[in-house]
Amino acid sequence: MARWLGLALAIVLWEILARLNAGSFVIAGPIAVADYIYMNTGLLGRALGATFQAAVWGFLWGNLAACCLACLVVLFPRTERVVNVFALLVFCLPLVATGPILRVLYGPGAGPQITLAALAVYYTSYLALLVGLRAVPQSWMDLVQSYGRGSVTTLLQIRLRASVPYLIAALQIGAPVAFLGAMVGEFTGAERGLGVLTLRAMRGLDVDATWAIASIATAVSVLAFQVFGRLGDWLQTDRPTLLLSAAQTKNGPAAWQRVLTAAAIALLVVVVWQVLMDVFGLNRFFAKRPADVWTYLISGSNATAARETLFAALGQTLWLTFPGYFAGLLLGAGLAAAVVILPGVAAAILPVAVALRSVPIITTAPLIVLALGRGSLGTITIVAVMIFFPTLVACLQGLRQTPGQVHELFQTYAASRLRLLRLAQIPAMLPAFFAAARMAVPAALLAATTTEWLATGTGIGNLMALTASTSDYNMLWSAVVVLALIAMVFYMAVEVVEQKVLAVYASEQVRR
Amino acid sequence: MTRRDIECVDLAKTYESPSGQVDAVAPLTTTFTEGQTTAVVGPSGCGKSTILRMIAGLEAPSSGTLAIGAETPLALARRGALSMAFQDASLLPWRSVEGNVALGLKLARKPAAPEHVRKLIHMVGLAGFERSRPAELSGGMRQRAAIARCLVSEPELLLLDEPFAAVDALTRKRLNQELPRLWRDLGTTTLLVTHSVQEAVMLSDRILVLSARPACVVADLVTGSDAVSAQVEQALQEAA
Repeated sequence: MARWLGLALAIVLWEILARLNAGSFVIAGPIAVADYIYMNTGLLGRALGATFQAAVWGFLWGNLAACCLACLVVLFPRTERVVNVFALLVFCLPLVATGPILRVLYGPGAGPQITLAALAVYYTSYLALLVGLRAVPQSWMDLVQSYGRGSVTTLLQIRLRASVPYLIAALQIGAPVAFLGAMVGEFTGAERGLGVLTLRAMRGLDVDATWAIASIATAVSVLAFQVFGRLGDWLQTDRPTLLLSAAQTKNGPAAWQRVLTAAAIALLVVVVWQVLMDVFGLNRFFAKRPADVWTYLISGSNATAARETLFAALGQTLWLTFPGYFAGLLLGAGLAAAVVILPGVAAAILPVAVALRSVPIITTAPLIVLALGRGSLGTITIVAVMIFFPTLVACLQGLRQTPGQVHELFQTYAASRLRLLRLAQIPAMLPAFFAAARMAVPAALLAATTTEWLATGTGIGNLMALTASTSDYNMLWSAVVVLALIAMVFYMAVEVVEQKVLAVYASEQVRR
Repeated sequence: MTRRDIECVDLAKTYESPSGQVDAVAPLTTTFTEGQTTAVVGPSGCGKSTILRMIAGLEAPSSGTLAIGAETPLALARRGALSMAFQDASLLPWRSVEGNVALGLKLARKPAAPEHVRKLIHMVGLAGFERSRPAELSGGMRQRAAIARCLVSEPELLLLDEPFAAVDALTRKRLNQELPRLWRDLGTTTLLVTHSVQEAVMLSDRILVLSARPACVVADLVTGSDAVSAQVEQALQEAA
């Protein structure tokens, strides 16, 4: 009941806001949106069909890749470090740049859309599946081992089935993301799809169309989210306790071993990049090799100028990404804590939060910039919005990790909710918070670069869009490399902070 | 030594812990005769389960040798001739009682035998619960399903790690009567870790009493006489 009330309230508020802002060309209300959809059913239906098809294929491929990687790591634990770095690196590749590169590689057709949808999905699924495949009591493993059976039997009889709740949760999160990936792919020169219509609507300042497409994309995402939720209920799977695991702390390798491993992996990445380009015989004009990027940024005659341009744009982007990133994290965690103190609020807020989490960033970015202007506030807000919802959901999940007996213990001392929150629930929430903070790093960069590309015309997002359109592939590939490295460095920095904090405040929850 | 005697020679286990080395099992030299049931009793945490886990091949001994006839524990397990019941029932939550019991056959690479599975479910007192999931059962019922699972493959070597702890008195009494008959019929070599002296006397042919950690044998008694319960009690008091 509270869910529907919250939804109805949101729609009424939306209509009121639209009427108050009539004539500002910023907000189209639900009535105008419904009218646009009714008048353009055929066009929107065809576009939705194309985007949906690409998203479904990408979703399937992405999850298949995630399953294969997770099974590989479980069967051969020594591969974990290398697989993790490769998986993270590919996840950190900026969609804004990989889109145009994929378009050139694939040519016309749905290839880039499907690939970007797969890329957007696979990392979360991989991490969740890895946690799921390992979330098996030791006694089950002992049982299989006592019959003399090995890791393949354990995988087939125990781990795969035990990971189903985690897979379902990952599919639930991944479905809206796949839709977003497919739409970004369509921005790169597809013939049809909701992404193509979004571009057209933005260029024509057609507010009704932009809001209608955003509404459709949101509805599809929410529907997909619900479908996988129902699938989980139907399969009677338990909800996973924690979807993304905490970073490893104790018993990890020594510092020198980590440096050596990192260097070996970096070398491996360069080799794989070079080999892939050569094996597929890709044209050197657009498919740049590691040496091309090195020459362009480091040893070439124009390297200094290239670096200046690139780092100036990067500076602009990071300047706006950080405040948005921290604001999103703080708001998400703060609201989750507030919801625990005032539990009645949760029932009304959460359905709206889930719906808003599913709104594809590429449809909201232009709308927020329209509302807040092309200055820094618009970009910071978009980054914060992008981070806020996943953090809120993860933190709420984390807050629920406090064991029931701890609640009862605090009750016996008549402790206040605030005290319970501070002493028991926040430490219990920390692993989920940090997992969200890690995943938010590439998401924040995606939000910032997408906004720069679509709306503000500044920063590295704009630089990548510009170089893609002018076929300056040296700069485009350099931007991809630098952004991916930056995302990885910040991801690892968050991991280091996580290790330090969890070792003190939640040592019992740390993965050893 | 016959083909399936378990021969332990100086079998010992030492753990590394943050506070230093922990001797869990002092060098143990003994033979568990084929077809016999041996109960292992001793104070909590003395290393009884560790001995069982080493025999099951779940933990490598720190020193000493272990042979089951001419085979290693792993070889025995690989031909489906070993099964173990753990302290925790370890039932797979997504399988029914029937499915969990049948898993014992599957893991032992033996053909499906639905009738045999049902017979054992009846024997452990779970008739009518064949289709129930573990979450629908009490702790004792889950433990009974686990006992049925380890019996279903008719193993040559059966390792029971306090499997009756959560089982109700009535079922325990019935199992205490039926299990020795079943083991005799199958010629199973059984090692039973238990806290109950009465159970040890009732189920086994021989009782090993272990000292507090590191476990070493303080009494090795043959059951059959009326005085054995008192002897075990006395040895346990001395061991503590």
